[in-house]
Amino acid sequence: MRATDLFDNYLFGTISNQDKLDFEARLKSDTEFALAFEKHRTLIEGLNQHEQRLNIKQIFSTIHQQEFGKDAKIISIKEGFVKKHGKTVAVAASVAVIAVISTMTILSTGGYLLKQQSNAITDLKRDVNELKYSQDAIIEGISGLGSARPKKYAPANIEGTGFALNNKGYFITSLHMVKNADSVFVTNSVLERVSAKLVATDNALDIAIFKMENSEALEKTVYPFSFNNHHSEIGDKVFTIGYPRKDIVYGEGALSSLSGYNNDTTMFQVSIPVNPGNSGGPLMDEQGNIIGVIRGKLSNAEGTGFAVKSDLLKQVIDSLKDETLKTDLVLNTKKSSLKGLKRSEQIKKMQPFVFNIMVYKK
Amino acid sequence: MSKVTYTDLNFIEGLKHNNDAVLRALYKKYYNLVLKYVVNNSGNSESAADIYQETLIVLYENVQKPGFELNCQLQTYIFSIAKRLWLKQLRKNGSTFRFKDDQENEVVDVTDEITDHLKKESDIDKMNASLEDLGEPCKTILKDFYVYKLNMDQISEKFGYTNSDNAKTQKYKCLQRLKRSFFED
Repeated sequence: MRATDLFDNYLFGTISNQDKLDFEARLKSDTEFALAFEKHRTLIEGLNQHEQRLNIKQIFSTIHQQEFGKDAKIISIKEGFVKKHGKTVAVAASVAVIAVISTMTILSTGGYLLKQQSNAITDLKRDVNELKYSQDAIIEGISGLGSARPKKYAPANIEGTGFALNNKGYFITSLHMVKNADSVFVTNSVLERVSAKLVATDNALDIAIFKMENSEALEKTVYPFSFNNHHSEIGDKVFTIGYPRKDIVYGEGALSSLSGYNNDTTMFQVSIPVNPGNSGGPLMDEQGNIIGVIRGKLSNAEGTGFAVKSDLLKQVIDSLKDETLKTDLVLNTKKSSLKGLKRSEQIKKMQPFVFNIMVYKK
Repeated sequence: MSKVTYTDLNFIEGLKHNNDAVLRALYKKYYNLVLKYVVNNSGNSESAADIYQETLIVLYENVQKPGFELNCQLQTYIFSIAKRLWLKQLRKNGSTFRFKDDQENEVVDVTDEITDHLKKESDIDKMNASLEDLGEPCKTILKDFYVYKLNMDQISEKFGYTNSDNAKTQKYKCLQRLKRSFFED
């Protein structure tokens, strides 16, 4: 048994009375042992303190935004980012100016945004629900895929979008949506609420990779996306589908810049009207290649969205193979089966692989 | 709709038990007090929000201590902490401020609270830096085990390890790395 296991058992109280007495006796007689234990305890206390602080900070800042905030200013760009990806920001002063003018809003529904929205749509709720039933029926009729009947479940704390990385149950979504999640479920026209577990995250890119518990419904269907992206150029037509509402919504536009918020070279800027709930959705080119993951938008300008580049996503997934997390995750780099199809046909084929993500928190 | 009013004692209990409604009511009740003070003393609403949140964190963390007792009005206590934190901030910025000493609000001595808070703050910063170095999945594995008390089977399941022994080995490696980084200087 390792010393740390012994320390843990003592701290957690999972130790027999005799062992406990022996342990305490050794603390008194063996100074080196006592010192090691003290370090261990300090570290565990530090971890607990750190987590408690994060939680209470989060609580107060959420309250502030909801009660006193004028607009939801959540910047999900981390400092470490700069070092890792060589963001082309000139001087700190200019960053500050840009930050005052526009902040990037993350696109999950939740917190302040959710509150705003629910105020606006409360009266329409019933209608929306009825609409949902009829639309679900239409979608089922068109696609002829399975039977997703709306059932009553507890409403999720946060909802957003995610999309499949293969047809074996792996999918990707935005990390900011699923942070501190207790459980995560996915649903769409062919999946009736399947639970999913976290496989990996990348803080800097704001992405999280999950695997769903049961992916049978998808395995029979041809995986539509390709990660074989040619060089994307400014002006390329792009589109996304996602779940800013309970129903899937299509949005199109153009690639407006090869860098994102604050000249961040890990992102694209797109002229697609994205909304809370679009976070984690696929950014596609016309040939059906995944070129990015929708991440956020400018809080004070419509039609300015940002997406994490799929090249970086591929790098993250490749790096996973080197780590202890062994995955059977291989991305499709062959030609997309969507190539050459009409847009409406493409969307029909994509739909089973784009998910409404439901996040529950403690 | 009837409006619930809370006493100081209700607020303290609410803080102790993380009661969401009470925390919200508390937040709303004294925000303007601190906002007014900070804005009147060379601050803006953004710095006021930061100071107010830090003040409530000091309060929150003190309330969690066993044997915490409030010896004055909660309003006085909150104002005293906010004032000290704001003056410290102004000094740190090196601004040559003209301080309008207001007679409106009573203050009590919160030196111990502030000293404890600053010590804790630097501990947490240090842990934060170590955890950032550590990265994922280590960060979450350690938090899951030591804070949220998940067992090795649950962790193994969550992170997709083939068995709980592998998860345990990983946890051990993560802990050793954190230990090295945290105690290294």
